[in-house]
Amino acid sequence: MKFGLRRLSSLSVKFALTITAVVAGVAFTIGALIVTLDWQRFHRELESKSFLLAHSVSVTAADDILRKDHWSLFKSLKKMAREGTGELRETGIITAMIIDPEGVVLAHLQPNENPLGMPLALSDKTEERLLNSVRKLRAPGILNGGFGSNGFLEGVVPILSDEKLLGFVRVRLSYQELILKAQRSAIIILGVTLALVVLGSLLGAAISRRITKPLTAMTEGIEAVGRGELSDIRPIPVSNDDELGILASAFNKMAKEMAEKKSLEEQIAVSEKLVALGRISAGVAHEVNNPLAGLMNCIDTLKKHPDDPELVERYLPLLDKGLNRIKNIVESLLIELRIEEAHGTGNSTSLEDLRDIVESEINGRNIDFVWDNHLGDDVLINKRRVQQIVLNLLKNSVQALHDKGTVTFRTFRDGNCVILEVSDNGPGIPPEYKNQLFDPFFTTKKNGTGLGLWIVYRLVESMRGVIEVESEVGSGTQFQVTLPTMDVST
Amino acid sequence: MIRKWAAYFVLILGTLVGALSVAYAGHVENGDARKPIQFGLTAVVVRENLRFLDQWSQYLSEKIGHPVEFVRRKSYREVMDLLDSGRIDFAWICGYPFIEKRDPEFIQLLSVPVYAGRPLYHSFIIVHKDSPYRTIEDLEDKVFAFSDPESNSGYLFPQFLLASQGKTLEGHFRQTFFTYSHAETVEAVAEQVANGGAVDSYIWEYLNDKRPALVGKTRVIQKSPAFGFPPVVARIGADPKMVQKMKDVLLGMSNDLEGKKFLAGLKLDGFGDSPPELFDSIRDMAAKTRKALPWATAAERKKNEMAAGKE
Repeated sequence: MKFGLRRLSSLSVKFALTITAVVAGVAFTIGALIVTLDWQRFHRELESKSFLLAHSVSVTAADDILRKDHWSLFKSLKKMAREGTGELRETGIITAMIIDPEGVVLAHLQPNENPLGMPLALSDKTEERLLNSVRKLRAPGILNGGFGSNGFLEGVVPILSDEKLLGFVRVRLSYQELILKAQRSAIIILGVTLALVVLGSLLGAAISRRITKPLTAMTEGIEAVGRGELSDIRPIPVSNDDELGILASAFNKMAKEMAEKKSLEEQIAVSEKLVALGRISAGVAHEVNNPLAGLMNCIDTLKKHPDDPELVERYLPLLDKGLNRIKNIVESLLIELRIEEAHGTGNSTSLEDLRDIVESEINGRNIDFVWDNHLGDDVLINKRRVQQIVLNLLKNSVQALHDKGTVTFRTFRDGNCVILEVSDNGPGIPPEYKNQLFDPFFTTKKNGTGLGLWIVYRLVESMRGVIEVESEVGSGTQFQVTLPTMDVST
Repeated sequence: MIRKWAAYFVLILGTLVGALSVAYAGHVENGDARKPIQFGLTAVVVRENLRFLDQWSQYLSEKIGHPVEFVRRKSYREVMDLLDSGRIDFAWICGYPFIEKRDPEFIQLLSVPVYAGRPLYHSFIIVHKDSPYRTIEDLEDKVFAFSDPESNSGYLFPQFLLASQGKTLEGHFRQTFFTYSHAETVEAVAEQVANGGAVDSYIWEYLNDKRPALVGKTRVIQKSPAFGFPPVVARIGADPKMVQKMKDVLLGMSNDLEGKKFLAGLKLDGFGDSPPELFDSIRDMAAKTRKALPWATAAERKKNEMAAGKE
């Protein structure tokens, strides 16, 4: 059912239906017009035939009436009827008559019912009306005897001799043949119309198929682009150089360029990774190397003076400190590696665990901590990763504030995304640091490893999220992390 | 002076015209050898049978040795006028015009056809086969068809029938008309344009053979006594040799094979030689009718002559 509806609402079906409707509308209008015109033409023909026949009789009628030659009058009617039906075979002469001005029969094709010398037999109201109309005529006229299959028209010609009215010739032709003729032509026209409609709908289907086929292919292509499968887009066949062809080739060009761009981006990402790796390696080497030199010195000195307790007492804490630093660096790196592989999920209440950690970090300083969790229980998140992101950002803020200020954490859902916001009213980040903010080992703090924000950045990226920083020196900083819900739990 | 000259001129001109016309008339009278003999036909035969009549005229031409041409006219009156004026020499007319008084007489009896063994025929009063009428009296206030105002069987006899009861045609019938052809009278009755009609028995029977569908729609309700069959007459002024030759050829038709063929086509036994007294019964009937309705017949005649139009 759903499939059927989809098909009905599709462009190709709409297009075909529209063309069919237009063709049908035009064809039926023209058909109706032709039928009407045909009817009018047949009617005119019938009128002129009735005139012609009545005239043919009236030519000789005057003399015959004056001579009371009823037989000749009858013969001329008979001859007219015979020849009339002969050459105008399709015109049925119902009857014909010659009457005098008073309505007395001078000759009638049905002499039995309408005897000579008697007033015309008036079988009904129509006949009466017709006779009255006939008697008023002084010039040839057409009278109508109702429509339908029993309908007829009458050609009436007055017979005048020296302007004296002698009588009337009345020739009555049936509409039946006219109706049959009109029906015949109507059937033919209806047939042609239906054929046109069928042809029109076939044409419509063909045209719409031709138009929608590349459109469907393009839609599939665009969906593939949406899914990021740029390399999978098959080029749309370009068959014509019309608008559709141009569109198809433009799309093909775009798809190709996007694929190229993607592969270029991938290459850049690879080289960036290598660069980052190099920088980390260099950072690790440098960071480890720095305390190592001091530690080596201490050990050398202790080697030279193994029995000097003062030296041991002085250098051991130094050794401890230096090794701890190295251990911190290694641990941080290990945390990052571990978290990157973490997959445990939980709902948003798992974030609540962080509150205590942050409170201990504040450690009684005059810092307000605002916790504003608007995520519902139904939102599943990757517990470890999101915790790590939020914790790192909060720690940063708390550390930035020194002795007093406000740290705010806000999280909520925005459509298909989970928003994590951490803000403080601390000193802000100087603009010159903004580009290095997420670099590994970049730190402004005395004892910082420079790995906190880097880890945040890596985690956000791994979840297809975005991290934005807004900071103004003197007023504070706000980090906003936007994570798609699809990926926030993985 | 001028007047005298004018008088002379008129006299000379008149003499010239007179001489010329006499010369022309003589030319006509003596006849161009090839000028056909004109033979008038009336309603007594079925004139529409063109091919048959052409062949018959061809036969007569060959037998006489001079072209014979049939002249068809609508009414007896016209054929009589053609005889009177000398434009035709022979005609097949009806007994009624034959017995009419003419002064001077310009026709002579040539031959009387023999029909069904006798030179006689009848007048039939016919009606439509489905109609209830049994006599001409039943047709009162009805429409009646006559053939020709000078026809014996088609006009005189029904008139006589009514006159003997003191009735006129106009008084008895609502409407009458002339068809100028016995065959068409049969048609008029068959088509019910007329409720009744008077026809030549010979034509009715001839049509009964040729067009039974038409005649079958009619029914004979009254039959007249026998009358002399419509005769063939010759103009008195016609070339006697030619008249004799025509008579010989007509009378001889029953003796040769081809002649018999034409007689069979006409449904006649032959052309015979009957005395003019054969038509006395018609003369008698005409006289009685006139006597019974002197004013009526005169008025009727005048009207009918007008109707005939003397075309």
